[in-house]
Amino acid sequence: MPQNQQQIDTTPILSVSDLNLHYGEAHALKGINLDMIRHQVTAFIGPSGCGKSTLLRCFNRMNDLVESARVNGSIRFNGAEVNEPATDVISLRRRIGMVFQQSNPFPKSIYENIVYGLRISGVNDKATLDEAVERSLKSAAIWNEVKDRLNDSALGLSGGQAQRICIARAIAVNPEIILMDEPCSALDPISTLKIEELIDELKDKYTIVIVTHNMQQAARVSDVTAFFYLGELIEVGATRKIFTNPEKKQTEDYITGRFG
Amino acid sequence: MKKFWKTGEPYVLATGAALAIVLVMTITLIGTVVFNGFSYYWPKELVRFELKDGSYALGQIMQHEKNPINGDRRLQLKVANRDVFGQDFRWIDEKEITTRTLPADAMLLERREHGNFFGFLMGVTAEGLDFPAASTPNQKLELALKLVATKNQATRKIKDQMSDLNNRAERIRLKLLKLEYRDKEKNSSEIAELTVEREKAMADFNALNEQLIAARAGITSITAQFLDVTGAGKDIAVFDIVAHQYPNSMSFFAKCGAYLERVRELLLDDPRESNTEGGLFPAIFGTVMMVLLMSVFSLPFGVVAAIYLREYAKDGLLTRMVRIAVNNLAGVPSIVYGVFGLGFFVYGIGGSIDSMFFPERLPTPTFGTGGILWASLTLALLTVPVVIVATEESLASIPKGIREGSLALGATKYQTLTKILLPMATPGIMTGLILSMARAAGEVAPLMIVGVVKLAPALPFDGSFPFFHMDRKFMHLGFHIYDVGFQSPNVEAAKPMVYVTTMLLLAIVIVASSTAIYLRNRMRRKFTTSTF
Amino acid sequence: MKKNFTDKSRRNDRIAEVLIRIGGVMVIISVVWILVMISQVALPLFYPASAKIAASVKLPATISNSKILAVGSGENQQGAYVLDDSGTFHFLTVPDGTLSASIKAPNIPLGAARVVSAEYTGKSDYNLLWDNGAISSVAVEMSSSRDAGGKVSLSHDVSARDELVFAAAGTVVHSFARLMEGQGTVRVDRLVGDRLRVTHQLVEKDFLGNEKRSNNSFEISDPLPGRLSAVAVDSKGHYLYAGTDTGWLLRWDISEPDQARLLDNIQVSVDRQAITSLALVLGDVSVAVGNAKGALSTWFPVKLAGSGEDRRLIRIHTLRPTGGQATVILPSPRSKTLITLDDKEIHADHMTSERNLLTIPLSTPIVKAALSPKGNSLCALDNAGMLKVWKLDIPHPEISFGTLFGKVWYEGYDKPEYAWQSSAANDDFEPKMSLVPLMFGTVKATLFAMMFAVPLAILAALYTSQFMSPKLKGRIKPLVEIMAAIPSVVIGFLAGLWLAPLIDKSILTVFLSIVLVPLLLLITIFFWKRIKINSLLQRLTRGQEFVAMIPLVVLGCYLAFLLSGIAEIHLFAGDFKQWLFSSLGVRYDQRNSIIIAIALGFAVIPIIFTIAEDAISNVPRNLTAASLALGASRWQTAWRVVLPSALPGVFSAVMIGFGRAIGETMIVLMATGNTPILSWSLFNGLRSLSANIAVEIPEAPVFSSLYRVLFLSAVLLFVFTFIINSVAEVLRQRFRKKYGRY
Repeated sequence: MPQNQQQIDTTPILSVSDLNLHYGEAHALKGINLDMIRHQVTAFIGPSGCGKSTLLRCFNRMNDLVESARVNGSIRFNGAEVNEPATDVISLRRRIGMVFQQSNPFPKSIYENIVYGLRISGVNDKATLDEAVERSLKSAAIWNEVKDRLNDSALGLSGGQAQRICIARAIAVNPEIILMDEPCSALDPISTLKIEELIDELKDKYTIVIVTHNMQQAARVSDVTAFFYLGELIEVGATRKIFTNPEKKQTEDYITGRFG
Repeated sequence: MKKFWKTGEPYVLATGAALAIVLVMTITLIGTVVFNGFSYYWPKELVRFELKDGSYALGQIMQHEKNPINGDRRLQLKVANRDVFGQDFRWIDEKEITTRTLPADAMLLERREHGNFFGFLMGVTAEGLDFPAASTPNQKLELALKLVATKNQATRKIKDQMSDLNNRAERIRLKLLKLEYRDKEKNSSEIAELTVEREKAMADFNALNEQLIAARAGITSITAQFLDVTGAGKDIAVFDIVAHQYPNSMSFFAKCGAYLERVRELLLDDPRESNTEGGLFPAIFGTVMMVLLMSVFSLPFGVVAAIYLREYAKDGLLTRMVRIAVNNLAGVPSIVYGVFGLGFFVYGIGGSIDSMFFPERLPTPTFGTGGILWASLTLALLTVPVVIVATEESLASIPKGIREGSLALGATKYQTLTKILLPMATPGIMTGLILSMARAAGEVAPLMIVGVVKLAPALPFDGSFPFFHMDRKFMHLGFHIYDVGFQSPNVEAAKPMVYVTTMLLLAIVIVASSTAIYLRNRMRRKFTTSTF
Repeated sequence: MKKNFTDKSRRNDRIAEVLIRIGGVMVIISVVWILVMISQVALPLFYPASAKIAASVKLPATISNSKILAVGSGENQQGAYVLDDSGTFHFLTVPDGTLSASIKAPNIPLGAARVVSAEYTGKSDYNLLWDNGAISSVAVEMSSSRDAGGKVSLSHDVSARDELVFAAAGTVVHSFARLMEGQGTVRVDRLVGDRLRVTHQLVEKDFLGNEKRSNNSFEISDPLPGRLSAVAVDSKGHYLYAGTDTGWLLRWDISEPDQARLLDNIQVSVDRQAITSLALVLGDVSVAVGNAKGALSTWFPVKLAGSGEDRRLIRIHTLRPTGGQATVILPSPRSKTLITLDDKEIHADHMTSERNLLTIPLSTPIVKAALSPKGNSLCALDNAGMLKVWKLDIPHPEISFGTLFGKVWYEGYDKPEYAWQSSAANDDFEPKMSLVPLMFGTVKATLFAMMFAVPLAILAALYTSQFMSPKLKGRIKPLVEIMAAIPSVVIGFLAGLWLAPLIDKSILTVFLSIVLVPLLLLITIFFWKRIKINSLLQRLTRGQEFVAMIPLVVLGCYLAFLLSGIAEIHLFAGDFKQWLFSSLGVRYDQRNSIIIAIALGFAVIPIIFTIAEDAISNVPRNLTAASLALGASRWQTAWRVVLPSALPGVFSAVMIGFGRAIGETMIVLMATGNTPILSWSLFNGLRSLSANIAVEIPEAPVFSSLYRVLFLSAVLLFVFTFIINSVAEVLRQRFRKKYGRY
């Protein structure tokens, strides 16, 4: 995989230090320290329940919606603290987009789905919206498939298409980071392939963090891979290194399929 | 065969029979109402019987049955002419009958008072009306009716003027009361002025009243002469004739026309004869307005409460308890709501409003008595649980991913709610609303306590300021059924009317709830087959 | 632009959140408020009575020196008066005690100088007995008005009542004078030496309108068992009561002009205590007896077994004994409350409820006391010449737990009973507000309805959910749901005016149907297999059997109708109802419990059906599949696997139906005769709590006892249904959790 842009900017866009998270009594994330570099694809891998999705949801504070969750430690986004109560969650979420495991198009037209993020931030100018729709649908590589039926309901799309609409919807507001929470787990292989290609294209413009438990997928799309196990970050490093020569025994066991 | 028993097939049949019984009962109920409701307005033939004792009877055959005394067949005849015979119905043993005929000239009159009249038209006397020489009595009657109608038009104008004057006098009276209550001395000049004005209005009113009486006398002097079946004569003022027909010589289409005319009367006219005849318009209007007013209160509160419970309240013990409480409120007897409405709305809030804003009218209550506002509020309280439960259920059925998707794009909770969740929950909310409206339309027990009356003098909405009269009492279809069916002096004669009212109410409720059920089923299907 | 919008939407969000929270909490508060509010109206029923001393004034010396024969006070404790032995009424303003007027009684009889005694006969009327034995009657009027400045001015008047006058009749100790309606007047004199004399002054009118007066006097000759210690005459002058110092109570009928018939002669206390006071309780039915030990009881005549038509005085209520000798009993003019005085205390008791309402301790013994005409204030003169006026606040004396829920021996009844009769034509009537017959009616209606509805609803739900083809289910379920929406007033109307006359004509059809329909079903089941093979019915495959059942049910009912005619003629002599009455002594009401069972049952069937069907359908399919895969038949699967799993849900369905039936008003109102009787008979009507509210509340004066009792019954209904529904709801939620739904 071409990694020629890697040297341009190495300041972390997201920087997690000493992060702990509890769900009630359960200690779900234990002392996580991790940096994510601009315009790179970072993949979180690990067995189910290892906390990788939870960590992802900390970045845009989606864990706020879970009443029992308590977060300690620091997450810095462009140097600003995410976990502070004073942080404006609304604008944070606008700058950090998210794509979910289950595609979740709104029961509106494709067009309205894409412009939803813009409309809620007050953009109502038709030209701007049209432009954003075309741009983001093209970026999400679905323009050709839907350009003739923008006013149809988004609920009629196939799973892969719906997921790409969701990606386009996230792109439309021009975020800096796109968080993807197992975006392909509910899709067929062809759709998965399309999304993976898309991720590869998107990383020129956006920083992407992707949670996956498909190791081949992590190997295919990511620049950096982090391996989680039972709420701990076991190992993080360049993807090639993790997959060919992991430092930790647990990582190796997982990658070679001894458990998981 | 043994295996048949062993596998329990007979029990399956038994359960099927239980369902069959339930269905038969439902169909019987609806069928009875529909049959009786529809057949009432169909012009029935007037049969003339000659009896063995030489007397005659004319009427419509209502039913046949076995005479419990001697075991013979007998029939019930509606003979009408209540003012002559004393009662509307009589029983005739079939063996007493020698001949039965259908006289073509037998006439059925619907009168303003004393119910129907069955008899034979003989002639018409009308001063100042020259009938063409060769005209038959029927043509004369038509002419007389036309004349009465035009004359009546004039009296109606007088009546309108009188009602205007009356309203004005009443407004002045209330103003006077207010002024006197505030400070008699200070407002004395104004009081004097208003008193004069009121007296003038009253004088005008009285003058008009005399005109009206004179005009009425002119109208009622036009009479038609009839013979009843016994051969006795009867003069009936043409003005009293609401409708007339020769049911024995009407064609099928004429009957249809008469039928439709009756339906029009039912839907658009005022009731007559203490609600047992005429139209149901005030009751329909009252029911509809009360239900709409109730929706205005129950919909927003119910939806807000449901949103609070589902989207904002923390899911703790309290929320769970509140949810159980709300569910249970739907099961609290409606009469309890009525009692609450009486104690809290009528005497509590209404009484306070009266003592604060209308002290001059006391002890005559304005809001401190039952009225459409309190009735609507009481029913709103009664139906709010229905709206809450339906809204909550439809909010709960929206997948979590939709909310997260919106929030992850930086939408506020309120934006998510208004742009995504509420539009998605609308069918569910509508279902709840329609169900609550159906319930309110059929509910009677609490209304009896908080504002429904047998006969309201005025509609709660009319042309005089302030148009909506929230303090007025109103009429209601459901109460109409109870009142006419159980409290009218002549239940037997009133029964057909009650069937018609019942059918109307049943139709409203069934249409409403079918719509709600259809909407709900469609919504369920939509959510379960969609891709998320 | 975007920034502004974002700020705005953020502000909107906060405002909306606050508003929604407020709205939500408001709705929840209003839920609680309903219960609080209706309880709040009902609660004053149990408030204690109170007495506040409004004034205590020293009588002016000029008055207190003379003998005071009567005292009285106005309704709002602003005026009082005393009557001295010269026949002068002295009016005082209270609380300052200044003498505002002294008015001599008008129409003093010839030759009379001094008043011996004054008898208060209610409504501010006094009969004055003069020293020569003559009697005159006066009415005292006192009213206060408030002028614009808020100053109170009192006006008073003493006027003669000419219709009640007796001429001189020698020396008399004490006397009672009464108007006998349309017949003239009667006086009863207590003479020296324990003699009682009755004098009738009769007025007869002949057909020309001439009045003929006659005077008729006699002494009572019956020997007295002891010395006379108390005498009372009822307000119509029909009965004379006398008590002796040995505890005997005698009663004479003196309504006939020339004789006194001794009706009763009974010992009223075990220890032969002297009767010290007698008074007739409002309504003249009961007599209150106070004795030297302070025991207070009320008595009225009751028809006893074996005594024929005669009624004998029976001790009905025993009120709480006072501390000392009961010197005076003052019956309240507005209720069955009795004020009893002894040397140390004033007691207020209510006869029906046997409640001790008030006890006012006294420092000095009372000489004279009287209640105001409406019973709101009590005026008393003590032996130190102090005139005291109390404001009495006795809100609902007739209500106690005993009268609401226990058996009470009401006036005119032969034994203690549970009875509901809230009002009558006359004011002095004893309200009967036992909730027991109403609760009984509610329970009876509910139980009968449930007996009819539960089996039908659950079996039908089982069939619909387990055996019916899914396509049909999609049509039948909405049908039943629509059935749930049928307004109860429609069901009530049809039950009362269509079904009741129908069943009235042939009551046997109902019973025969219960037998015939299952019988036909059995026969059909027997032949089912055979019929099914070679007929049209073959098309009715599994899941549609019930369609074949419909004609069966109709046929069964029709056969029952045909047979009932035959059975009635051959078994019950042509008339079942007559037979019922003559051989079983059961009265048949047209609107009876059978009608209620069917109508109310019909109303709850869809509720039970819907919830039970949901519960049964929610049992996971894989359970059914597992059972079927093991070779169980569909009935075995349904009966042994599905139904037990769904039992909590089914049970909660029954509970919710039960709750609905309890509170149903219109059906019960229209389909029963609304008679509050305690009878389990199928052929009688009933009155339920809810229908009772609907019937009575439009007539109940606001804040009267009846009004509050009706609110109390609403509270009972609320609490009862709330508990039932909560239990059902908890059960249902548990059930849902068990199968991971919701």
